[in-house]
Amino acid sequence: MADAAPTPDLVPVTVLTGYLGAGKTTLLNRILSENHGRKYAVVINEFGELGVDNDLVVDSDEEVFEMNNGCICCTVRGDLIRIVGGLMKRRDKFDGIIIETTGLANPAPVAQTFFVDDAVRAKTRLDAIVTVVDAKHLPQRLLDSHEAQDQIAFADVIVLNKTDLVTPDELDAVEAQIRKINKFAKIHRTTKSAVPIAELLDQGAFDLKRVLAHSPDFLTDDAHEHNDEIASMSFEVTTPIDPERFNAWIGALLAEKGQDLLRTKGILSYQGEDRRFAFQAVHMIADGDFIGPWKAGEPRTSRLVFIGRNLNRPQLRRGFESCQVA
Amino acid sequence: MGQTVSADHLLETRGIAKSLDAFVVAASFDRDGDAVAFALGDGSLRLARVGAEDWTEVAAHDGGALALACDATPSGWLSGGDDGRFVRVAADGAVSEVARYGMKWVEHVASFSDGKARLTGCAVGRNVHLFDAAGSLIKTLAHPSTVTGFVFDPKGKRVAASHYGGASIWFVASKSDNPRKLDWKGSHIGIAMSPDGGNVVTAMQENALHGWRLADGQHMRMSGYPSKTSALSFTRNGKWLASSGAESIVLWPFFGGGPMGKAPTELAGGDNVLCTTLACHPTYEAVAAGFSDGLVVMADITTQRILPVAGPGRGPISAMAWSSDGVHLAFGTETGFAAVVDFSKR
Repeated sequence: MADAAPTPDLVPVTVLTGYLGAGKTTLLNRILSENHGRKYAVVINEFGELGVDNDLVVDSDEEVFEMNNGCICCTVRGDLIRIVGGLMKRRDKFDGIIIETTGLANPAPVAQTFFVDDAVRAKTRLDAIVTVVDAKHLPQRLLDSHEAQDQIAFADVIVLNKTDLVTPDELDAVEAQIRKINKFAKIHRTTKSAVPIAELLDQGAFDLKRVLAHSPDFLTDDAHEHNDEIASMSFEVTTPIDPERFNAWIGALLAEKGQDLLRTKGILSYQGEDRRFAFQAVHMIADGDFIGPWKAGEPRTSRLVFIGRNLNRPQLRRGFESCQVA
Repeated sequence: MGQTVSADHLLETRGIAKSLDAFVVAASFDRDGDAVAFALGDGSLRLARVGAEDWTEVAAHDGGALALACDATPSGWLSGGDDGRFVRVAADGAVSEVARYGMKWVEHVASFSDGKARLTGCAVGRNVHLFDAAGSLIKTLAHPSTVTGFVFDPKGKRVAASHYGGASIWFVASKSDNPRKLDWKGSHIGIAMSPDGGNVVTAMQENALHGWRLADGQHMRMSGYPSKTSALSFTRNGKWLASSGAESIVLWPFFGGGPMGKAPTELAGGDNVLCTTLACHPTYEAVAAGFSDGLVVMADITTQRILPVAGPGRGPISAMAWSSDGVHLAFGTETGFAAVVDFSKR
């Protein structure tokens, strides 16, 4: 794992997911037409819906490829590897990249592309996964589609759109359903995808700084989720972490349960280290890096978050606790 | 001998260099070797007659240029861009559109000529489009996934294209249009064919090369690279396959039963700097190579002597080409430096 601060000149990449009809294209049109002083290269796959003429719009077919790297669930987007490579040859023409996925897309291959491909990693950073959902139809989607659940599970930012089509009570119920899957994403309630662009782009959300800054309801229940529903759990310890123990534990855990663990993220306080260590994984593919130092007087609490299926809270907690220095 | 000369000695005494202010995507001499073109990330081409100090700027693409090759005619080039255009650029800089593909990127271009037959082609998404000398479409070859590279065989009879899951070989004149499929699991991201047309080698996403001996379908696995291979080049006699992607020039022996079971020869290594591109000399058993720190060297494969051409410091080398007579070497960098170096006897 590299021991370096995140490089500031990496191109931020925003992934836009959401079911057909949720308001993704409306949002994209707003991002492209609004005068926010920044230029984005946009990778789309359903050209024609977009009403904006822009020479930086790239039409792409989603090509999900299996990697032969020994990781059984590791898939990447081959088209993105090529397109990012091509765009980097005119790097000076845009400030960021937005990738729109098809409505039915599983977000994992997109996210994994930014972990697995060295050339892509060297030039870009995954800024945030933004998921647009339709307040009226989401409950039904969640019942009939794994992808709809996964898109919420993967999200750093959720645009809860078409709120005018439901009652306030229904809206609260939908938000509660989202929170059950993903406790940590930032939720914006909108109509016509009207959310300030500054709240979506250049969030640094994927690199955790803000996501873990406020930690909602830690350690509330000890339920062991046996069903197929996605849940999120978070754990924290105050004794410093032994990097070797942590790597051994998390490595084995991801190898064994990686298919169920959609996203794992954490900020860790390593023994004898003044900088915070940011850890994250998508399924089995993990990555980590030191980020800025702990603030003076700030409690050095290590936090770890899991979003996935079949999470066993006591087992995960015991495992994380066993990584503390003896 | 014995005295220390600067690594830039050849560049300074025998080179013409320019700062072009855009990523140099590719370099290519025209077929008769009189002039070189550099394709740039800003969509323009720079044309330079060998030895000339004045280079011509040509607005070829609205966006970025992605691919460049010599045309099938003795002079001029073909280029492809992310504006979806496949164009011909004449020696005087005149641009004529061969085809236009809307939103799709034209990511690869190639040509063939043996003096009589002339073919050109471009890869756009999953298709390779082939054109005759007049620029008329001959046929479109459809693949199961995006084409990541294609080459004509040495006689212009076949086209080999790499894609996810392997490579496909097509007969240009075939009526049936069923390719010979070379299957190997994984994502194949570039392709080369040996000068005798007997071997096909692809670069893979997993930092390895894969090859097929066409006579009997024998597989070849060449691995051990720390990063992806973007440049593959056979020596003229077909004995060696030179490849980028390691901290040296990696040369696989295609003789004496190799490359199966043989270790590659590594040249110009030792500095922990990645070789980013290379080009084998068109006549000698030698290879020019560029590195991520900007170093350019010429390596004699037989004697293993390394001759520096340009020292580090001008950006990662991103493009490289020899003139057909092997007298001039052109190279360019990610940060917009470009040069043509004269290797003629003096």
